[in-house]
Amino acid sequence: MSARSNDSRFRIQPFLEKWGVIVAFALLFAVSTWKQGFDFLNPENLRTLLNSNAPVGILAVGMTLVIVSSGIDLSVGSMVVLSAALGTTAMNSLIGNEWSEGSAVALGALVTLGAGLFAGAINGSLVVFGRIAPFIATLGGLAAFRSMALAIADAGEIRSQSSTLFGVLGRGGIPLAYESAPAVDATGEAAAPVFHGLLNGAGKPLTLPYSVIVFFAVAIVAQWFLSRARFGRQLVAVGANETAARYAGIPIAWVRFRVYAIMGLLAGVAGLVQSSRMNSVSTAQLGLGSELDAIAAVVIGGTSLRGGFGRVWGTVVGVLILGMITNILTISGVSPYWQGAVKGAVIVLAVLVQRGSRD
Amino acid sequence: MVAPSSAISDANSTARRDGALLSAASVTVDYPGVRALDGVSIDFRAGEIHAIVGENGAGKSTLMKVLSGSVRPTAGQLRLAGSAVAFTRPSDAIRAGIAMVHQELNLVPTLDVAENVMLGREPTRMLGVAIDRPRQRARARELLAMLGADLTDDHALARRAGDLSVAEAQFVEIAKCLASDARVLIFDEPTAVLGEREASRLLALLKRMRDEGRAVIFISHHLDEVVAIADRVSVLRDGKLVQSFARDAAGAIAGEDALAHAMVGRELGSIYPAKGEAMPQASGAASNAIELVGFGARGRSSGISLAVKPGEIVGFAGLVGSGRTETAEAIVGLRRREGVVRVDGREVAFANPRAAMRAGVAYVSEDRKGRGLHVTLSSVANMTLPSLDAYTHFGGARVDSRAERAVAERWIGSFAIRCARPDLPISSLSGGNQQKFALARWLETKPKVLVIDEPTRGVDVGAKGEIYRIIAELARAGLACIVISSELPELIGLAHRVVVMRGGTVAGELSREKLARHDSDERIVRLASGLSEEKESHA
Repeated sequence: MSARSNDSRFRIQPFLEKWGVIVAFALLFAVSTWKQGFDFLNPENLRTLLNSNAPVGILAVGMTLVIVSSGIDLSVGSMVVLSAALGTTAMNSLIGNEWSEGSAVALGALVTLGAGLFAGAINGSLVVFGRIAPFIATLGGLAAFRSMALAIADAGEIRSQSSTLFGVLGRGGIPLAYESAPAVDATGEAAAPVFHGLLNGAGKPLTLPYSVIVFFAVAIVAQWFLSRARFGRQLVAVGANETAARYAGIPIAWVRFRVYAIMGLLAGVAGLVQSSRMNSVSTAQLGLGSELDAIAAVVIGGTSLRGGFGRVWGTVVGVLILGMITNILTISGVSPYWQGAVKGAVIVLAVLVQRGSRD
Repeated sequence: MVAPSSAISDANSTARRDGALLSAASVTVDYPGVRALDGVSIDFRAGEIHAIVGENGAGKSTLMKVLSGSVRPTAGQLRLAGSAVAFTRPSDAIRAGIAMVHQELNLVPTLDVAENVMLGREPTRMLGVAIDRPRQRARARELLAMLGADLTDDHALARRAGDLSVAEAQFVEIAKCLASDARVLIFDEPTAVLGEREASRLLALLKRMRDEGRAVIFISHHLDEVVAIADRVSVLRDGKLVQSFARDAAGAIAGEDALAHAMVGRELGSIYPAKGEAMPQASGAASNAIELVGFGARGRSSGISLAVKPGEIVGFAGLVGSGRTETAEAIVGLRRREGVVRVDGREVAFANPRAAMRAGVAYVSEDRKGRGLHVTLSSVANMTLPSLDAYTHFGGARVDSRAERAVAERWIGSFAIRCARPDLPISSLSGGNQQKFALARWLETKPKVLVIDEPTRGVDVGAKGEIYRIIAELARAGLACIVISSELPELIGLAHRVVVMRGGTVAGELSREKLARHDSDERIVRLASGLSEEKESHA
């Protein structure tokens, strides 16, 4: 039947719509390798790429869910800084009160996550019960949450009082090399350790950072929820057509509220990773503009800004694409001032390539 | 039956002799995996109403999309006033004088009536910088007056399109077409969303357009309308032009039966199931499945008292705007309500459709595309959305896709739904098959009371009969059904009694005996339109 042959003919548009993000990733990977050779493929460089993008990646995963529900959250960067500021302050005061470092760090972490969740719940309440458009409600959060963080520290830095433990999440990781047995030589003096596995430039074991593990774990769980769980189905239904979802008996308010609360919780996770990594919270800088990076990664990943369709794996690739662009531009000596222009062009290009039958 | 190619060229030359304004010559359209139109040759003349009929999926909509420029044919060509034309986008067709009045109206809800009518061709002043509002208004008024619409005073012209009734919006839409000086007007099921009175007014308007020398193309599922006003009727089936009927010298055109026969390719028995069997058993003994006392949708309807027993089908008749849909929506918690609802004798107050569903009350919306279904989601996802909890494990953390698929397949089987790929968006199905899913998804919630609003809107004749049969069988199995419909034959053929609404309240009721009389449709129309003040017994 001629209709069949028509069907099987290869078409570039639908292909790019679906796999464009992978093609772009492969192209960038190839260009990076060509430009930098082994320096790029070097495990240490790849580790840095993943590690430095993990916090924004965690935000982007949450943003994917929000955007699938046809919402938006502009306040993520401010939630990051507020939750980190509250958590670090709480931890410091506990350490000051002679708490053990372990319990102070644990409680500080809980405060960080709880503050994120609470801020997200405020966004959710404004959207659901206050019937405020998500753009406006979270625009308010963008200003208010950052301002609270600034007020806590007089716009300055909150330095962690924890000596080591607090930094584990942000800087630690699982070593990718093991040490071979005798650390003692014939004369009984300590010998230089011998490692087997992936090493960094200093000859020390390379680690798989905990923050990267958290990023991927969050992404996998979110992708599962989006494609396999009831909550994901409800998100898609609400995002695709809220009226039809209401008529189908979906608890719209509860679905919407939850997605903003989850976004807040993930902002708390990102805040914890960031403050742990820096061992401090710069209330004026932390998370500044990360809502844009998160939204950009979601869009590049092929999630529809109109809602009703989304994929977390695409967002993860989108995060890596943005990271590689920054990486390659920096290596090539392009001024940081120009990097925003390139990123902007990539975002627009991604939307151009991916718009198709879904429009 | 495709005409051989020689016949096509003959037809073309004939068409030119007769002054065909717009003609399609062996137009074929292939969609992925399906041939939607197969060598269709047809022409449309000025001063003629040409009706296109066919079951859903027969290719009517595709043909209209070709004519109006939104689909490019895979093969074949269009000729306008004798010369070949190729439209690449709808604006090409509009510029060529072909305007389409869509089933879904395309007005800008935030603009007023005059602005909508003149949208895209606003009269300007100051070198085209400013819109000449007085002239815009005058021109819009002129066009609306030409249509015999009521929207001609200043107050009406300043109303926002979003506040118009469907019938009014349709007038505005048609006025918009006239503003573009359309020579060919295409109407895609224009009466589907209208009550009887608005419909007859619209049909009169079509005749007027014809008498002014325009070519009018008219798609309808209502064969009675087609027989009443069309000068020619062409029947499509499976993408092919099966037969064309012309009005004979005596002014008669093929009967509805002949048309229906050509459409389905088989004889249709009565499409209504035998009613005697569907009567509630032991009607005296059974308690009420649902009971309304002084009920209403706040601001839209009030004072409705009604009881429906298990196994009973109660029809809701009334003009568009009489409050039928609003009342139904208030029952399931989609609108603010007043009065009392009792389900199984217990008083209930549903906050939302979910609560109603849990108590066994399901509402199937009249607006399949906007409210009833998620057109972008798959048939399976649509099917299981209301009853999703039944397929989840671990507190909702996993949806059992195999169980979902099995449920969809089961309903595909029992409702004879034509759906080869339930994983594709449900918008790929015909209206009738979508409607069966819309019904099945609610039956899967095991309701005791089913409120179904316009069960056969936009559904072809064959599927209509099947849906009637399904409803009758459900009732026989003990389901209490409330059927809201603007099609009188449907209510008379299906319901055990019919409640007629007017202006937000019950105007009267026809018992089974009264429905059986030959003048039942007239009685309903009189009650619905306020011509008759007789209050039938309803209590």
